[in-house]
Amino acid sequence: MQFEAESNGIKYEVSVLEGRKAWRVSLKPEGEDWRHYEIPKTDYQFVDQTISFIFKDTSYLVDAIGEGTNYDIYTRGTHRTVEIYNEENLLHESLKGKAGFGGGLNLNSGMPGKIVKVMVEPGQAVAADEPLLIMEAMKMENEMRASAEAIVETVHVQAGDNVEAGATLISFKKAESKK
Amino acid sequence: MFKKILIANRGEIAIRVTRTCRELGIQSVAVFSEADRNSLHVLLADEAYLIGPAPSSESYLNIEKIIEVAKLSGSEAIHPGYGFLSESPVFAKACQEAGIVFIGPTAENIIAMGDKLASRELMKKAGVPTVPGSEGTVESLEEAQTAAEKIGYPVMIKASAGGGGKGIRVALTPKELPEAFRACRSEGLNFFKDDRVFIERFIQNPKHIEVQVFGDSHGNVVHLFERECSVQRRHQKLIEESPSPSVPSEVRQRLGEVAVQAARSINYLGAGTVEFIFDNSTKEFFFMEMNTRLQVEHPVTEMVTGLDLVQEQLLVAMGCKLSFSQDQIQQKGHSIELRICAEDPVTFTPSPGKIRRCRLPAGPFVRVDGYAYPGYEVPIHYDPMIIKLIVWGHDREEAIRRAQRSLAEFMLTGIKTNIVLHKNILGHPQFIDGTYTTQFIEQEITSKPQNQLFMFVDEDVFLISAAITAYSDSKTRSTSEFKLASRWGKVGRQKGLRN
Repeated sequence: MQFEAESNGIKYEVSVLEGRKAWRVSLKPEGEDWRHYEIPKTDYQFVDQTISFIFKDTSYLVDAIGEGTNYDIYTRGTHRTVEIYNEENLLHESLKGKAGFGGGLNLNSGMPGKIVKVMVEPGQAVAADEPLLIMEAMKMENEMRASAEAIVETVHVQAGDNVEAGATLISFKKAESKK
Repeated sequence: MFKKILIANRGEIAIRVTRTCRELGIQSVAVFSEADRNSLHVLLADEAYLIGPAPSSESYLNIEKIIEVAKLSGSEAIHPGYGFLSESPVFAKACQEAGIVFIGPTAENIIAMGDKLASRELMKKAGVPTVPGSEGTVESLEEAQTAAEKIGYPVMIKASAGGGGKGIRVALTPKELPEAFRACRSEGLNFFKDDRVFIERFIQNPKHIEVQVFGDSHGNVVHLFERECSVQRRHQKLIEESPSPSVPSEVRQRLGEVAVQAARSINYLGAGTVEFIFDNSTKEFFFMEMNTRLQVEHPVTEMVTGLDLVQEQLLVAMGCKLSFSQDQIQQKGHSIELRICAEDPVTFTPSPGKIRRCRLPAGPFVRVDGYAYPGYEVPIHYDPMIIKLIVWGHDREEAIRRAQRSLAEFMLTGIKTNIVLHKNILGHPQFIDGTYTTQFIEQEITSKPQNQLFMFVDEDVFLISAAITAYSDSKTRSTSEFKLASRWGKVGRQKGLRN
C-alpha cells in the first residue's frame, strides 16, 4: 500500500507491505533515497494495549492514534503528528479545493479558548514570528505568531470570541515572492 | 484530631491532602465542579459533593457553596490546598464565622502578605532585604515610564494581586514598556479583579530561592530549609529542588534566619514560603513575596526533612505546638520535583484532552503525586499541571540520575506533555552543574531549534509506526464507512460494483 506522509516538516513517500512474518516498510524522504526496512512481526507487536517496537535493537513503547489523516505517535515521552495520505485522501483534498497536502495556510486553534486580541487585519503582510493574536486558554494568555511570511486573507474571529479546538482563526495567502 | 475535613480544591493537591487525612483516620470530603465528576480526587475521597459548573469562579471559588457543603457534611475544618481560595482572606474569615477551622494562616497573615507591595514595605520595616522598586503602585503609563527610568531598565511590571505566574511582565527596554504595562493590567483585572501594578528592578542573573517556614499559635516559628525553583518559564515553575546547588552553607543559615524573621514579624501561623530573588554572582538575596499556603513544590522539602507538611498543618490548625524544634529539622540528601504538564513541550500551549495510556514510574525513592489515569479527560478549565514526579537521592547527582530513570519509565499518551522537555533539561550542562538561572528555559531551550529537543527517538520510528497503523486502519475499514470517504471514491466504488 502506498502513502504520502509528512512529519516534522519533511515529506515522504511511504510503502507498506504485509508479509506473513514481517512488515516491509520503505520510506523515501523528499530529495533522498529510499530506506527499506524489514520488520519481523515479533519486533512490532501489541503488549498491554501498546505497541512494543524493537527497532535497530532499541526497545520503544509506542502508542499510535489515527484520526482522519493525522496519526499521533507517542514514544519515550515525545510526540509527533504524522500526516498520512492514501490515494483516496489525496483526491479528496484536491477536490475540496483547499491548500491540501503540505499546504496548511491557516492558523488553527490547537485548543478551546477565548480570543483576547487580534493584531492583524485582512490584506496585511506578516513576517515570520510576527504576533497575530492573543488567545486565553487554561488561565494563560498565549500569543500566537506567524510561522512563515504570508498575507492575511481572512480573519475569522474577533476579540471576545470563544473558539473550539481545531477552529480556523486566520487564513493566509502565500506571500508574493520578492522580485 | 479532626474527624472530618473538607478539601476545597481539585487535582493532585486535593489527593495529597486526602492521603494524609486517611493516614490519620480523618474522613475526607471532596468538592467538585461539573467538569470534574470523574476526576481522581473525587474517586479517592470518602465523601464528594457537586458545587457548581465548570468555571472555577462558579465552583472552586464559590465561597458560600463550599461553606454550605462543609456544614452539611459536618466537616470541622477546610483545607484549601494551593491556588483557588487558599490565599483569600475573605474565605478564611467566612470559615471562622461559620465555626469551621481554616487550615492555613490567619486572615490577617494573608492580608499582610497578599498585597505584594504592602508586604514588601512591611518586610523592609522588619529588616528583611528587598529589591529596589517603585514607590507604591503606578497608575498611568507616564508614571510607569518615570518610575522605570528612575529604577533603571530592565524592569519588571507586576500586578499587585498577582501570583502563580499570572500578572507579571518584563520590559527590557523603554519601547517594551507600554505593551507590558497594558498586558499586566489586563491580566490583573481578568484573574484577580485588580489592575493595580508596581515596578521593580529586574535582576539579570537571578535564581529563585525560597524558604519553607512553619509557625504555631504558641509563638514558635521554624524554617525547613530552602528550595531552588529557578527552572521556570514565564514565571511558572517547572523543576524544584532542595537543597539549592548554589547556596553556600553560611548563606543557607542566613536565608533560614531571615525567613523566620519575616514570618515572626507578622506572627505567622501554619505553613508558608518566603520567596527570595538570589543573585548567583554576589550570593545576595532579596525578599520577593511570601506565599501564605502550602506550595506545589512542598514535597521536595518533605523528602529531605522526612516530615509530612500536611500533617503538621493539621496539628497547628488544631492549636497544637509544632512537633519539631529548629534543631531537630535536618536537610538530608537531595530531592528534585518535575512538574508534568498537559502542554506542548515546544510551544507550551496547553493540551487538554483524553489520556489514552498512562504508565507511571515507580521504584526506589520515587514519588508520584498526580491525578492522571487512562481514559481520564484533562479538562480545559484548570491548570495544565497534572502530575508531579518527585525523587530523592543521597546527593544531587544521584537524584538527577533517578529523575532521568523515572522519566524513561514514564508513558503518557493521548495528550501532549512536557516529559521530553524535562529529559532535555536534566541532561543540560547548566542544569547538571547547577549554574542555571530563572532565564534558563528562555535562553537554553525555547530559543534553540526544536529539532534538538527530540533526540531520544529515531525519526523513522514515528513514520514506521504511523505507516503500519494507517495500513492496518485501511485494511479493517469496512465498506459501510463510505460516507467517510470522498464522494468521488464512493462513485468510483459503485461503478466498480456494477461492472
